[in-house]
Amino acid sequence: MTDYNQELDARGLNCPLPILRAKKSISQLASGEVLRIVATDPGSVKDFESFCSQTGHELLDSTEADGTFVFAIKKQ
Amino acid sequence: MAKRLKAAERKASILAVAKLLFADKGFHGVAVDEIAKRLGVSPAVLYQHFPSKEALYEAALTEISEKRESYIEAVLTEPSDFATVLKRMSRIYVESVSRDPDYLRMELMSALEGSQAATRFFDHRWRALTDYIEYSLDELKNEGRLSRINPKMASLMYQGMIREVLYETCVLNDPRFHNMPLHTIVDELVQLFLKAISYE
Repeated sequence: MTDYNQELDARGLNCPLPILRAKKSISQLASGEVLRIVATDPGSVKDFESFCSQTGHELLDSTEADGTFVFAIKKQ
Repeated sequence: MAKRLKAAERKASILAVAKLLFADKGFHGVAVDEIAKRLGVSPAVLYQHFPSKEALYEAALTEISEKRESYIEAVLTEPSDFATVLKRMSRIYVESVSRDPDYLRMELMSALEGSQAATRFFDHRWRALTDYIEYSLDELKNEGRLSRINPKMASLMYQGMIREVLYETCVLNDPRFHNMPLHTIVDELVQLFLKAISYE
């Protein structure tokens, strides 16, 4: 599992709310720090890929188990 | 004789015609023969791809109800205050629906027929907007920037407003709005909504 500095629980939230909350959380991190996000919206996989490609942050990890999606994003 | 198509293309063309006819006449108003005739093929060709009319209808409903608009840019672009993002999201949604108004007809049909798909229409198409409003208004309330607002009722009001715009312009083609671009109507209604909830 990737080490992280902060965790965001976005379970039960639908797009664009996980992205909105991730944007807010990541703004509080320093460059190089990692945000771990836990989500349940299946659309979040594609959404976080777009989020990273548009913002320049790095998607370190994207996994799914039993309907829960976990992402690790390193701040640019 | 109808041109021979690859299986995937044939399936897509059947679905496209079925969607159009079901949206116009509902499940009971369309016969498999009619879909086949419109496509220039025999009903047997349809049954090679879909085992029954019910399966074809379900596939058409699924395709329309599970489409999702992308709001990533709407929330990542600055400024990203509640009003600006809501306006961007509303424009994206309304423009997407106006390009495929069969969605509205199918949504209404599925609700009238008591189909499970009615829930999927809400979950995949409307929920992004209503959840965004509820969540953001809750946050604004917690910050003390809004008072005496029930976020759930506010999002219901908004949903009703946008749904009516779509019916008037995309389904009923109401002449009262012929000279108004859709995004202008949406922007004005978003302004009215913001006034109604006393957002500044």
